[in-house]
Amino acid sequence: MPPFELYTPDSIEQALEISGNLSRENKEFDWIAGGTDLLPNYKWHINSKNYVISLSSIDELRKLNNVHIGATVSIYDLANSPTTHPVLAKAANSIASVMIRRSGTVGGNICLDTRCYWFNQSETWRESIDWCHKCDCGTGADCRVIPNQNTLCVATYQADLAPVLMCLGAEIHLLSHKGKRSMKLEDFFELDGIKRNVLFPGEFITHVSIPNDYAEWIGDYQKLRQRDSWDFPEAGVAVLWKTNPDNTIKDLRIATTGLESIPAIHHKEVGEALTSWKGEDSVDDLADSIRKAVKPVQNTWFSPNYRKKMVKVLTKRAFGNLLVE
Amino acid sequence: MSKDKDSKEIQGYRQQPGKLPFSKPGSGGKNSFSKPIDLENIPVSQNGRKDQPWGPHRHDSLISGQVIGRPTALVDSAWKVTGQAQYGDDIRLPNELIGRIVRSPYHYAKILSIDCSDALNLPGVVAVATGIDAKNKFGVLPVTKDEHAMAVDKVRHAGDLIACIAAENENIAREAERLIKIEYEILESIHDIEDGLEDSEYPIHDRGQYHIGNSNIQKRVFQEFGDISSLEKNTVASHRSNWTFAGVNHGFTEPHAVVANWSPDGRLTLYTPQQVPHYVHRSLADVLEIPMHQINVHRTFVGGGFGGKSDPFPHEMCAAILARKSGRPVRITFDREEVFWVNRGRHPSKIEMNLHADSEGRICGIETDALIDGGGFASFGHVTTYYNGVLHTAPYEIGSFHYTGARVWTNKPASGAMRGHGAVNSRCAVEVGLDDLAEKLEVDPITLRLANLLPPHSATITGFRVTSIGMRECLERVKKESGWSEKFRKMPLGKGIGVGCGFFISGSGLPIHWDPNKFPHATVHLKIDMDGGVTIHTGAAEIGQGSDTVVSQSVAEVLGLPLDMIRIRSRESDTSPVDLGSYSSRVTFMNANAAISAAMKIRDELIKAASDITGASLNSLIVGDRRIFDKNDPAIGVSYLEALHKSQEEKGALISSGAYRTPPMGKTHKGAAAGLAPAYSFSAYVAEVSVDIETGKTTVDKVWAAHDCGKALNPLAVKGQIIGSCHMGLGQVLSEEMRYGRSGHLMNPDFLDYKIPSIHEMPEVIPIIVESNDPEGPFGAKEAGEGPLLPILPAVCNAVYDAIGVRTEELPITSEKVFKLVEKKCRLQGISNPLDLKSPRLEFSDLQNTLDKRAQLHSKRDIERRLNSNREEYYNGAIFGLEPTKSPEEIDDNWSVRVIPEENYLLSPRLAGSAWKHIERRNMGD
Repeated sequence: MPPFELYTPDSIEQALEISGNLSRENKEFDWIAGGTDLLPNYKWHINSKNYVISLSSIDELRKLNNVHIGATVSIYDLANSPTTHPVLAKAANSIASVMIRRSGTVGGNICLDTRCYWFNQSETWRESIDWCHKCDCGTGADCRVIPNQNTLCVATYQADLAPVLMCLGAEIHLLSHKGKRSMKLEDFFELDGIKRNVLFPGEFITHVSIPNDYAEWIGDYQKLRQRDSWDFPEAGVAVLWKTNPDNTIKDLRIATTGLESIPAIHHKEVGEALTSWKGEDSVDDLADSIRKAVKPVQNTWFSPNYRKKMVKVLTKRAFGNLLVE
Repeated sequence: MSKDKDSKEIQGYRQQPGKLPFSKPGSGGKNSFSKPIDLENIPVSQNGRKDQPWGPHRHDSLISGQVIGRPTALVDSAWKVTGQAQYGDDIRLPNELIGRIVRSPYHYAKILSIDCSDALNLPGVVAVATGIDAKNKFGVLPVTKDEHAMAVDKVRHAGDLIACIAAENENIAREAERLIKIEYEILESIHDIEDGLEDSEYPIHDRGQYHIGNSNIQKRVFQEFGDISSLEKNTVASHRSNWTFAGVNHGFTEPHAVVANWSPDGRLTLYTPQQVPHYVHRSLADVLEIPMHQINVHRTFVGGGFGGKSDPFPHEMCAAILARKSGRPVRITFDREEVFWVNRGRHPSKIEMNLHADSEGRICGIETDALIDGGGFASFGHVTTYYNGVLHTAPYEIGSFHYTGARVWTNKPASGAMRGHGAVNSRCAVEVGLDDLAEKLEVDPITLRLANLLPPHSATITGFRVTSIGMRECLERVKKESGWSEKFRKMPLGKGIGVGCGFFISGSGLPIHWDPNKFPHATVHLKIDMDGGVTIHTGAAEIGQGSDTVVSQSVAEVLGLPLDMIRIRSRESDTSPVDLGSYSSRVTFMNANAAISAAMKIRDELIKAASDITGASLNSLIVGDRRIFDKNDPAIGVSYLEALHKSQEEKGALISSGAYRTPPMGKTHKGAAAGLAPAYSFSAYVAEVSVDIETGKTTVDKVWAAHDCGKALNPLAVKGQIIGSCHMGLGQVLSEEMRYGRSGHLMNPDFLDYKIPSIHEMPEVIPIIVESNDPEGPFGAKEAGEGPLLPILPAVCNAVYDAIGVRTEELPITSEKVFKLVEKKCRLQGISNPLDLKSPRLEFSDLQNTLDKRAQLHSKRDIERRLNSNREEYYNGAIFGLEPTKSPEEIDDNWSVRVIPEENYLLSPRLAGSAWKHIERRNMGD
């Protein structure tokens, strides 16, 4: 692993001071918390930096309750807290392996670097394909997934928490030496496998907040992968709904992950379906329109075609509870 | 020194007896009291109470009831579980340098020039070496030495070695890698296995006059046995399939690591986690051009091998070369990616498998065509090419066998030997074929197998001498314990059950590097001194399979000692007798036999001493726990230490040497040696699966795994091997594959994307040990390390068919592949929702009765044969009405042996068979 200088501030103020100084000196750095995403990439010499600031000693970032999830709350703690929404807990519990869940954090999972067969490789491997335009910007390399297009990076966002959080209407709260800002989680992501999200250098996530109506949302998270441990989602579908007292559907949200460079919440498809909701038939049609809405590419374990078809199956399965009632 | 008869003749001082309190030495061992003989552990042939349903064994009289057959923790386990075992990378010598390998970024290229000057000038770099530093070729098989320490003229796959660097630390070494300037001329690379069959402008290797045309065919095999001419006439049902098997890697825990050190006296010590230290020893001598006695190969603890650490490796040569150049120890440790570059995993294969049955439900023909992808080097491939055919000529009696096999070079990391070497893929195809054949004959697939088994002590169609066979018992046990009859073709859609069998060599009959008639396969030395502890010297490589334990157990059993009195020195070639290493499942059979023979010599000496002391006759003395006594009057006897000291009087420490060599076996046709073994193991598994019909995901719920290992010397280790084999085989059937992308690159050289099953995918495995008491095995034992892998693949494939009625011809069956098969089936049946598919059902035909009866008759036949030591010969073919005691070729003109194709065949050869269209250069004329 390339050597780097590590800072371990124990307060937000200290962190901001360090990041501010590094920024002013034009020294590139990364934030680190659990390190389960960053360090494997460093080991492969993927976009490694000379300076790394650890957020893991800052207690304030570990606050966890029903409506507030600190950025450095471990995925394990999130999954096992009684305050966590059951669907969010299910998604958290399905991430990687128990050892990684113990280290990995909520903020890290939301910011998970996008993944691609041509990118998550060692430096010598990448050199042997003459690089790709995500990992080795500046080499002029083409995209290896879709050659002859050099605009967007199509590396895949394969994190599990975002779709559930988006369905719960979560807001994300960011901080940097320039100040703080907040936004809906669905507005946090930017459609490009390199840019990925709105964070600018020096900015980090402090926490995610969940709206107060969280308890009214019920639903499910379904995930496609080869093995029931370790593997990133090849497709993930969160479906959450609210029901009226007569058990008819009141509100519905569907979000997907593992299919494109960013997770997506499907307002349009859901909106159309809700205007004329007919129960099981609508589920079938809606699942099909979600399948059509996603555009996976060939850069993960399963083929895009299969992943699309599975989106329909997963969506229907996530509706399972609704149809039973 | 002669015994003094008259004390007056003593010259010089002697300690007077009785003046000093020399007490009796006791029994040795931790426990001061010897245990009484446990008759439950003594076979009935020795008047004990242990049943011998398979008859007595030649080693029965050596059984002291100590350790054999008892679940025993491996003797080196405490080192491992306390973290004190030293694996390759744990060897830290003072003043070490770190070695790094410079690898090719290109699939296939000529090297025009290498400039190392900048790298050498980098502070901290101590030595750099390239191909010119080691021009001699090496390779595991003497017939196909085609590797260099580093590329001499060209690189043959991305990741091939070009140069190596020794530096003060890893970062400097990595920096130096970038400073080595290499000019290449890129050549057109070959990735598709079928392209390897064609003539090429630049074949990947040049075999000189033995080169096959201008192709990339490294080895081709043609074999025809039996009554091929009547095949068409007799066949009533056929199975035909065309399989594609992805290449798989061993996935052992410990990446390769090596430390080389030249001592001040000019000798080289190489520390390496090797399965076969002796072949590295030879290769080092060849490559470094120094005599073998100047080299000490030190096998470290091995963090898993599975065949992947059995070749002599280029990086081992590199470490030695760098250490010689730098005058300092050099350590090279691989990244996981580099493990995939060196590979030697199971060959990616295309296998055509056709099985034919006649009206009596007999297997009248097996036709196999196997094209295997060797990657850039030969490795064990010569043997693999044979094994893909010959290792499925049993356990069934067959009417004809037609095999064409070819191994081609492609510009990929080399394939080699992996657990179940060469047998796994074609075995899967055969067993799935039998399932289909049973379906077509409308019979139960287990009955079909039971009615077509070779009897014990018979010869296969290709002439293998098979001794003990526990196949029938394996099948009967899994059938009963799995509740087969209530489940097969009776479970609901998405639930299925399937069976598969296996057959594997218990030690390759021929050593790779020498004439088997001149040297033994295995040698064991023993040394015992005053303390009573026994030191075993053996070269058998402990690779986690329990080799140290089984050899220790064998010696302990014969000498009547507890295991803690045995210490084993198996690491260094300086002190161990030559052993061929841990491959082909040979260690238990060969090394334990050698150990028994060495221990018998010591035992004889101890009994002689006990007889001298007690006056009891030699024949009446037996060995118990640390005590030798008269079997007729156990009160008469001496402790082990007393006997030992008595026998030491004239010569000090006792030493002995024992060896094992296989008996002469087999036929004489070209290739007859491939697959010969002194014994064979058999196994039968039943797997129960659930298939998610909408996603195609297969979950294996439970496996009943019966394996005939002859005799479980250590049942704990045998069960471990069975369960571990299941896991490894499940990987290949469910999710493991070395996946190459469209640019020819290996896309998943890491353990996230090379998908070894996790604990979640691992089903409950019920290991069932069948003990067929092999007459030549040590205490009756045969192998248990590789054979148990074979049946799991077809058992799962057949269970998937039982669950949803689709048959795969491609491994791994990822959920995506099963989904596609389900989609296709729905399309064919005009069904839109796969949940509406029908679960496969089977009504048995009248043939089922015929087979049942035959199976019962054969069962009686087999029991009679195994218990009768004066049994007559039995040749494959008798089931078709031929005289069993004669080789069929001798009595029936239709039965033939052919190892070169006739011209007719070449008019429309099968895929691998088309390799025979080329002419070897030496036969081309001018």
